[in-house]
Amino acid sequence: MSAYADERPGRGRRARPGRGRWALAVVIVAVPLALALLGPLFAGAPGPRATSFTLGGGHWLGTDFVGRDVWRQILLGGRPVVLTALAATALAYLVALPIGLIAALTHRGWLEELLMRPLDILLAVPSLLLILLVATVFTPGAAGLALLVALANIPDAARLVRAAAAEAASRPAVEAMRMQGETWWRMGVGYVGRSILRTLAADAGIRLTGVLYLVATAAFLGVGVAPDAADWAVMVDRNRTGLFVQPWAVVVPALLIVALTTGGNLLFDAALDRAGRPETKDARPEKKMGKRT
Amino acid sequence: MTPVRSWLARRLLLGAAQTVAVVLLVFALTEALPGDAAVVLAGDQPDPARIAAIRDTMELDRPAAVRLLDWAAGLAHGDLGTSLVSGRPVNSYVADGFGPTLLLASLTVLFLVPAGVGLGVLAARHQGRLVDRAISTVTLGVYAVPEFALGVLLVTVFALRLGWLPPTAVGYGTDLLAHPAALVLPVLVLLSRPVCSLARMVRAGMIEALASPYVAQARRYGIHGARIRYAHALPNAVAPAAQHLARTVDWLLCGVIVVEALFVIPGLGTVLMNAVAERDVPVVQGLAVVFGVVTVVLNIGADLVTRGFAPRAEVTA
Repeated sequence: MSAYADERPGRGRRARPGRGRWALAVVIVAVPLALALLGPLFAGAPGPRATSFTLGGGHWLGTDFVGRDVWRQILLGGRPVVLTALAATALAYLVALPIGLIAALTHRGWLEELLMRPLDILLAVPSLLLILLVATVFTPGAAGLALLVALANIPDAARLVRAAAAEAASRPAVEAMRMQGETWWRMGVGYVGRSILRTLAADAGIRLTGVLYLVATAAFLGVGVAPDAADWAVMVDRNRTGLFVQPWAVVVPALLIVALTTGGNLLFDAALDRAGRPETKDARPEKKMGKRT
Repeated sequence: MTPVRSWLARRLLLGAAQTVAVVLLVFALTEALPGDAAVVLAGDQPDPARIAAIRDTMELDRPAAVRLLDWAAGLAHGDLGTSLVSGRPVNSYVADGFGPTLLLASLTVLFLVPAGVGLGVLAARHQGRLVDRAISTVTLGVYAVPEFALGVLLVTVFALRLGWLPPTAVGYGTDLLAHPAALVLPVLVLLSRPVCSLARMVRAGMIEALASPYVAQARRYGIHGARIRYAHALPNAVAPAAQHLARTVDWLLCGVIVVEALFVIPGLGTVLMNAVAERDVPVVQGLAVVFGVVTVVLNIGADLVTRGFAPRAEVTA
């Protein structure tokens, strides 16, 4: 999931000013984000259904596979994608943060093993496979999909939190706090939690794009959404049958998804450049899978 | 034991634990069904005969532990179970879908390594200049794009507007090699994400390696630039990338499922999606075990490769 572990300040020249990329990212991500957040306000009431896959007739982008106005579906279809992705990212951290912090701060080896080893094993299950497995026996809704995507992200997020927190937890300041008899809360959240905020913020951006990918792909495969839902990914899937007759119903939502993911990734990268990258190298699971070697 | 042996032993042990975990997780799925599994799975056609048939095929009247042992013993012998819908063995489903998926995956890996490494080295050699900035921006942008969105756009442009390539693989059956034109777009879409991440890893590794003391020393000895780059710097740059490659197995699997759905290729991903739609639990379970074990094995393989390139790099078990 990491594409940013490569560039660290201080190593190599950074000739790029970064401003150009920042502007490019904002321009790319602005349209889909604005549509996703504000679109539903302008959608209005549904009009009468027309013939499937037609162009013109008062429909700016034509009609979709059941004769609904494509433009209205687009105005409505961004919000579920973005909201599910945000909820899934938040949920993943909600579980991963305590696990990672406790594992990093504890002096009991068995507790750390108990918390982290099962996650090592879970990492072996491909995320989409996990989602499809559950979708076979249950029919998850949007909330279920968010939960599943969060679940698929917990192992990796918890390892990142543990690796970053372990570094902060080994500082003399924490030892001093321990001797002082400070509470776990003040050490764990007040000091260690605060010192890993930068790393977390960097990871959250990357994770959100990964989650967005997974949410959209699951929706395209029909998991967690109604077959006729107003959702960009579902629109791409369902309107594919009419691609030759009415390409707009597919191309526009697909372009919006591409712009949202591309722009989002560029934006987070530019933001990292601007804020100065945290020393994430040792925190990345690809580099160092746990502290025993 | 030597450190290498003990590392290998631990790595294999982790792999075995992961395999067992996958099998248990997949089995737990039927147990997680609320109420009577047979009634739930019968779904839209809840007639008693079908429920009885499902109960019979899945042997639901026996205790879960006995079924787990039976199923696991079957897996160990290469018997994946029997389909609920058709009554055919799951092995025949796997055999049907195996060819196209293997073809797609091997073509992707075949192009992935030269394309990713080539782009990465190219960017590193022109670090900070226009070529590097273009490659860095494009790889960063494209690597987050879901395959299905990229796929339909490519189909629209190359199949619909330009008419150069067929839009799907419909009508070609499983003999895709005889129709290479139908494979271009699927492989291109499958390549998009892994190439980007590999190129970025190689670029970063190359820049770091080229700035290292041993490269400076080699330059002082007057060793030829190309030899420094490809014989000394590249192996060190590829080590973290190989490690990363293992994590992209996950993506490749997602990609294969999506690309097969998008281009109507009758591979394992299509078999899986059909089974999911029909709630054919034994087929889904069998395929999940196959996919899970493949992931575990490829991860072990990538870790071995990483150690081969740079033995001092820390690879955990």
